[in-house]
Amino acid sequence: MLTVYIMGKGYRVPEGLTIMKAMEYAGYRLVRGCGCRGGYCGACATVYRLPGDYRLYADLACQTTVQDGMYIAQLPSTPAERADYQLSQVAPRGEALLALYPELARCVACNTCTRSCPQKLEVMDAVQAALRGDIRQVAELTFDCVQCGLCAMRCPAEIAHYHVWQLARRLCGAYLTPRAQHLARRVAEVESGAFDAELDRLMGMGKDELAKAYQARDIEP
Amino acid sequence: MATYPKEMQESIVQVEATRPQRMKARFPRLSLAEQEALLRGFHPDYKEGGKRPLQVGPSQGELVPHEVADLLEAYPLLDPREVDLSKVDYDVDVLVIGGGGAGTVAALWACEAGIPADRILIATKLRHGDSNSMMAQGGIQAADKPHDSPAIHYLDVIGGGHFAGDPKLVRALVQDGPMIIRWHEALGVMYDKGPDGTMITIHGGGTSRKRMHSAKDYTGMEIMRVLRDEARSRGIPVLEFSPAVELLTDVHGQVAGAVLWNLETEEYLIVRAKATVLATGGWGRLHIQGFPTTNHYGATADGLVLAYRVGAKLRDLDSVQYHPTGAAYPEQLVGLLITEKVRGLDAQPVNRDGELFVHPLEPRDVESAAFIRECMPLEQGGRGRGVVTPTGMVGVWLDTPMVDMIHGKGTFQRALSSIWRMYVRFDIDPTREPILVYPSLHYQNGGVAIDENGWTGIPGLFAGGEVEGGVHGKNRLMGNSLLDYNVFGRRAGLAAAAWAKDARVGRLTLAHVKRYVEQLKAAAVPKERRAPLLLPDYRGERVLARMVDLL
Amino acid sequence: MKRIPYFPGCAMKDQARDYERAAQAALAALGCELVELPRWNCCGTVYSLANDDLMRHVGPVRNLIRVQDMGEDRVLTLCAMCYGTLRRSARFVAADPERLSRINAFMSDEHDYRGGVEVLHLLGLLRDVVGYENLASKVVRPLTGVRAAPYYGCTLVRPREVGVDNPDQPEVFERVLSALGAEVAEFPYKVECCGAYLTVGAPAIVAGRVRDIVASAAANGADLIVTSCPLCQFNLEARRPGIGPRLPVAYLGQLLAWALGADACLPPEAEALIQGTTPAAAGAQQR
Repeated sequence: MLTVYIMGKGYRVPEGLTIMKAMEYAGYRLVRGCGCRGGYCGACATVYRLPGDYRLYADLACQTTVQDGMYIAQLPSTPAERADYQLSQVAPRGEALLALYPELARCVACNTCTRSCPQKLEVMDAVQAALRGDIRQVAELTFDCVQCGLCAMRCPAEIAHYHVWQLARRLCGAYLTPRAQHLARRVAEVESGAFDAELDRLMGMGKDELAKAYQARDIEP
Repeated sequence: MATYPKEMQESIVQVEATRPQRMKARFPRLSLAEQEALLRGFHPDYKEGGKRPLQVGPSQGELVPHEVADLLEAYPLLDPREVDLSKVDYDVDVLVIGGGGAGTVAALWACEAGIPADRILIATKLRHGDSNSMMAQGGIQAADKPHDSPAIHYLDVIGGGHFAGDPKLVRALVQDGPMIIRWHEALGVMYDKGPDGTMITIHGGGTSRKRMHSAKDYTGMEIMRVLRDEARSRGIPVLEFSPAVELLTDVHGQVAGAVLWNLETEEYLIVRAKATVLATGGWGRLHIQGFPTTNHYGATADGLVLAYRVGAKLRDLDSVQYHPTGAAYPEQLVGLLITEKVRGLDAQPVNRDGELFVHPLEPRDVESAAFIRECMPLEQGGRGRGVVTPTGMVGVWLDTPMVDMIHGKGTFQRALSSIWRMYVRFDIDPTREPILVYPSLHYQNGGVAIDENGWTGIPGLFAGGEVEGGVHGKNRLMGNSLLDYNVFGRRAGLAAAAWAKDARVGRLTLAHVKRYVEQLKAAAVPKERRAPLLLPDYRGERVLARMVDLL
Repeated sequence: MKRIPYFPGCAMKDQARDYERAAQAALAALGCELVELPRWNCCGTVYSLANDDLMRHVGPVRNLIRVQDMGEDRVLTLCAMCYGTLRRSARFVAADPERLSRINAFMSDEHDYRGGVEVLHLLGLLRDVVGYENLASKVVRPLTGVRAAPYYGCTLVRPREVGVDNPDQPEVFERVLSALGAEVAEFPYKVECCGAYLTVGAPAIVAGRVRDIVASAAANGADLIVTSCPLCQFNLEARRPGIGPRLPVAYLGQLLAWALGADACLPPEAEALIQGTTPAAAGAQQR
């Protein structure tokens, strides 16, 4: 057993639990601060310290094992305004990010955001890429972002990073990547009814006939 | 490496020893008859005593797992006599219950169909986006390559579902696929593409063509967050932490909205709506047959309960999907999804002795049954060749180092970055050591019966996503659940919008609940049974024993 | 080829792309290879003069650490504002070891900055490393007949301690322009501030400054203004008042590239002027 301090109060919990399970063991029935429980949604953003260590650590409660004396606090929601935009009206140029999120220019390159990221993303580099107008680089650097908000909470320049990244990724996907030609062709084919006859036939087949056809499929190697 | 315990490391030595010969090995696929035998012998759905026939309601007599029957045959949380229906808190054209993929898609298309954003309301149990949709990893199917077609996709779906799928629904699914992908492309979803924009597509379990589109292994997250961002751009209102605890009907017998409950302030809210879309997702947190789950915290089958009480039919609930590869070690990760894409990138499932024992990409139920057979002790009829962990969990290896060996160094970290990150957090490098897996409760194959427009048969009630059934028959293929929520979320949203344009809502009532309660009493259902569940309870037993509500 | 570590700054990657390309080509012709710092960050340019605000120096010092990590002790900037900012921070931490140790402690994710990185501006490089005579000897398309006004702006020469030259009587820009064969149009507003960031909140003030600067250059015979700062370049072009003389604006790097026979990426107005004025050099390529 070891001791975990949940919002300042100590509880004895078994070793090997994640922070989330330790809280539940201690008797918390989570409403806030619990989402996918698997590291994909950012609901369980947690900051903590360890005994004898002044450093402030940040991670996801569902993916972090408790340590003896760990002192935790949670951030289930980040107050951060998302800019108002319609994607079709945002030009995919660098200035777009700064225009919608001008506080980006306040970055002092202190790297606190990077240190706070539970996904270990190079967050400051993404801010720098945004300042340079390199949308594609922003999208690549921030792809694995789960929008937990820890960077935004700790940033001295009060940037709301994850909102900027969401816009950059959409701009990259919609405008900076070539459209799939085969996809457009196939959509037109479907609309024109090219597959209707075959689908009608399949829908009318009995189970045995379908089973035969299914077994006879050739599988792409 | 130091993190695997000694006994497990001995097995890893075997895995490494057989790897060179396995690199070129091909395991034959099972015939339909062989698949059937394997399922009957080892799939949890066939285990004696896991299910019972429903005693009440429109699907009376249908077999459903006990954990689900306990919720369907249960009394309401709110006493209908204590709910004041005269004070309406929200009056909308379209109410969407569930803020995951299907719900967001439904709301977007209702908007597209001309319903003003402020006449739509998404009510969700946790936050907007908290859902199984957010957690999906490997991909979404769509037949958009030249050598593929919706007809071939149809055959894959219907066969994979053991020929139990509704042909009209399967057709809708495969026909709408390419259009959905193109819609996503225009919204800015960053699908993996080649330099000229060609989609990079791979196989999933049971597919005959490589038509799985992915965004690394964060496909679900990438799509969900773009959809959510678009809903925010449109200004569609979302009420978070407000699950529905009952559907409302009116005196004409239509569904007319819902009673929501604020999880934090404990007040109930009345939403009157001309059309209601159910998009409540799956049932993983019921831990059917005691399995761990890949699902998110809120997956408690609430929508099935609500729909059943207004008379909607349910189908194929006897079919539970276990994902073959849930993490089995370390203990902190048990149950979490390891995407099929790992096997799509050629990592082989291997037993304790380093042997490849099944084709890596059989349909999910077959693959799961094979893993269960491999691990089950000899005396229980299995092969007894699983790896046992110090906490008593059992599993087989997924030989993940093969991915980089076959596809080039760095492939795993790039294409499977979420899995890589998951394990590196616990000091295991999947590019150098295999990972341990075992089936995990994953998907609700069946659900509320719908037509090809997402209509449940109850006036005013529509459904899309995991909550509905008939699309996947008795077994869903990988990549078709993301497709399902988009196709039927869209159809349900459009149908709801069309209905709302002419609908007239009469006096609100909970009479349907009262009628259902009479049926429960007549069937002598125990009074303590309440539903919907809303959230699972993982509090320590010691604490629960001393808990008392004093405030 | 001399390897010179190079700090681009944000403008060089976006708005002043042409200046960068031209300068790289010109310096290559002079035997200097620019090696961009890996993972550099914005210099945070032109912060307040308050001494106790250490945070402002973290960004600039981090870039100096990058230079150090390359095993080098000097770095070139093309932008006058980046030059000023990086040099001021270098000086700031050199002056007080305690400040440096606090900044190093804060940036615990980096190697410690040990000091000693020299920040160079293009003008300083041409004067001290290349040399005026050497520069002149490499000119293949002399800017004969072009009357160029050397516009320093403010951050190249101020504060005095970090300027590239004497702020009252600077001469490095003029010497470089002469080496390129141009006629220098001396004008009294050459070190006056264009208004810099006031262009965002008070563009009318900038317009007034620009009017005076351009009028002074024109009155002293200039037909081209040369600058080394993307913000000055922007103001001189975009904030020109509707009346009064107009002069084309070019970057130092672009003129340099032209004279050395490299790809100059000149803006159309400046290019037309230069092509129209200078005799075509024997065998030199047109852009």
